[in-house]
Amino acid sequence: MSARRTLLPDAPLGETFAEAFANLRAQGRRSALALLGILIGTASIIAMLNVGHMAQRESLKLFSDMGVDMLQILAVPTGEAAAGFPREAVERLPQSDPAVAAALPLATGRGPVRSSRKQTDLSIVAMPPGLVRLARLPVAEGRSIAAIDDCGFGAVLGHKAAEQLSAPGAAAGVGSRVLVGDYGFTVIGVFAPVVAETLDPTDYNNAVFVPLSCARRVLPGADPNVAMIRLKPGVDGEPAGQRIIAALARPGSSLQAMNAQRILQTMNAQKAVHSRMLAAIGAISLLVGGIGVMNVMLMSVMERRREIGLRAAIGATPRDVQALFVIEAAVLTLVGGVVGTLFGLLAGYAIAVSSGWDFGLAVWTLPLGPGVAGLIGLVFGLYPAITASRLDPIEALRAD
Amino acid sequence: MLRLSNIHKAYGSRERPVSVLADVSLTVDDGEFCAVLGPSGSGKSTLLNIVGLLDRPCAGEMVLGGTTISHDSAQTTARLRNRLLGFVFQSFQLLPRLNAWQNIAMPLMYRGVPRGERKGRALEMLERVGLSERADHLPSQLSGGQCQRVAIARALVGEPRLILADEPTGSLDSATAGEMIDLLGALNRELGMTIVMVTHDRDLAQACGRRIELLDGRVVADSAAA
Repeated sequence: MSARRTLLPDAPLGETFAEAFANLRAQGRRSALALLGILIGTASIIAMLNVGHMAQRESLKLFSDMGVDMLQILAVPTGEAAAGFPREAVERLPQSDPAVAAALPLATGRGPVRSSRKQTDLSIVAMPPGLVRLARLPVAEGRSIAAIDDCGFGAVLGHKAAEQLSAPGAAAGVGSRVLVGDYGFTVIGVFAPVVAETLDPTDYNNAVFVPLSCARRVLPGADPNVAMIRLKPGVDGEPAGQRIIAALARPGSSLQAMNAQRILQTMNAQKAVHSRMLAAIGAISLLVGGIGVMNVMLMSVMERRREIGLRAAIGATPRDVQALFVIEAAVLTLVGGVVGTLFGLLAGYAIAVSSGWDFGLAVWTLPLGPGVAGLIGLVFGLYPAITASRLDPIEALRAD
Repeated sequence: MLRLSNIHKAYGSRERPVSVLADVSLTVDDGEFCAVLGPSGSGKSTLLNIVGLLDRPCAGEMVLGGTTISHDSAQTTARLRNRLLGFVFQSFQLLPRLNAWQNIAMPLMYRGVPRGERKGRALEMLERVGLSERADHLPSQLSGGQCQRVAIARALVGEPRLILADEPTGSLDSATAGEMIDLLGALNRELGMTIVMVTHDRDLAQACGRRIELLDGRVVADSAAA
């Protein structure tokens, strides 16, 4: 006989599958209980993978507008004097540092802002014209600050700032006057609402924007204290940040670098901890489930000794007997895997809803659940199957 | 058909072996209907297990249907059982989940015979044992005698060279037992089926063409030799 004939069972596989299903149905409740561990294991792994997938997507969404190549340098005062760095040094960065694609200096602060009827505390952003494009600030009304404005006392209001400065019958809008500190500005435009992003230096909606050259009039320090930098693609933000900090350093200011990659990494690291926990739960459940399946299969082998003996007597080879029990275990766990996958998706959906995320299905997880579960069945079914195939048919036929 | 030469079988430890069969030699020709008789412990079941390739002798040679049996690999032995032998047991050994024709068709599954053909051949065998109308009944819905008929049909379905029956009437009342012996006799006469039947019932053994008597693991009488 050929090698192939001795390695494979003689009975057709399809028929063995059909028998396995029938046997499991006959065992009813016991099969269902054995499924439970596999079900929980698969469910938690599927939930973990899908939640991880959604979390990844959500955190990417936070940066999708600005991109992950953003780097922000922030100056914090170390003493009495206002913190900052030279504007020219920032503007020169694209030429002086090979990693920098673009750099914008900003001066930010907070102060009282008054309109004809109202007064409130707002963020003050002294900006170069380029910020509109970099931060994608949408102009709702009027125009934004342009290069020619220099410090011509034109200001643009954030969406909420305009609301706060408006009074009935005296809306703050294009053409109205606002007082920032002691200086009067004409409103030349209003921005539409923007979604806050992780790397925004301030809340743009609650800010009044003035030309950068007006910084020395409306803010304590004349120099920019924020540099928004776009790195060239593929550049590692960490060393670039350190290099730029060194280049911009000045006594009296402590500089910090925040980069999108780093924030993303921190967020992902936190997610990874959760994922690992879920994975551990899943793995332990699968292990316990697998042992449960092995137990059920061993019981089944002991109870069906006569059947095994009979099959051996009428010509089932040891491979046939092994196939019968391995396939039974695999079918059992496969069913657990399919049901577990459904539960896992349900759990993922629940987590997405409670986190306010859009539900997104990681399609590649769908075959993974039943696949892993089936594999567990094959592995843990092997021992009972080998036990069955090694029974002495004479003893087995005599069993009661 | 079947030739046993100097078969020895002993159980127990190497130091204190308990001999069950001692130097058994016999030949069964094609078409014979043999009864193996003997009291319990005489070794007749062990002999049947060895002939049925379920047990291996400690010494001696066995040729079955032209094949010298080596017991080298369990796979090969299983295939020989499937091809050469049909078993009938005292307790029927039908699978309770399967109906009559499915039970009968089982040996064919291990030969890879397609389902449709299996059913056809199983139904043929059912007709042969006179149970055509019970094809879809479960064993629990059949009487003892009917179960044993199904079991005999299962032994026949693979067209074996030899049928081994181990106390086939042991679980039946005497009337049904008689019917069963008649059925085996008819199969022997009409199909030329070779049958070796173990029994301790001398009256039933009278129906067989040849009677072999065992005592303490030795052949003490053989009607063919007399």
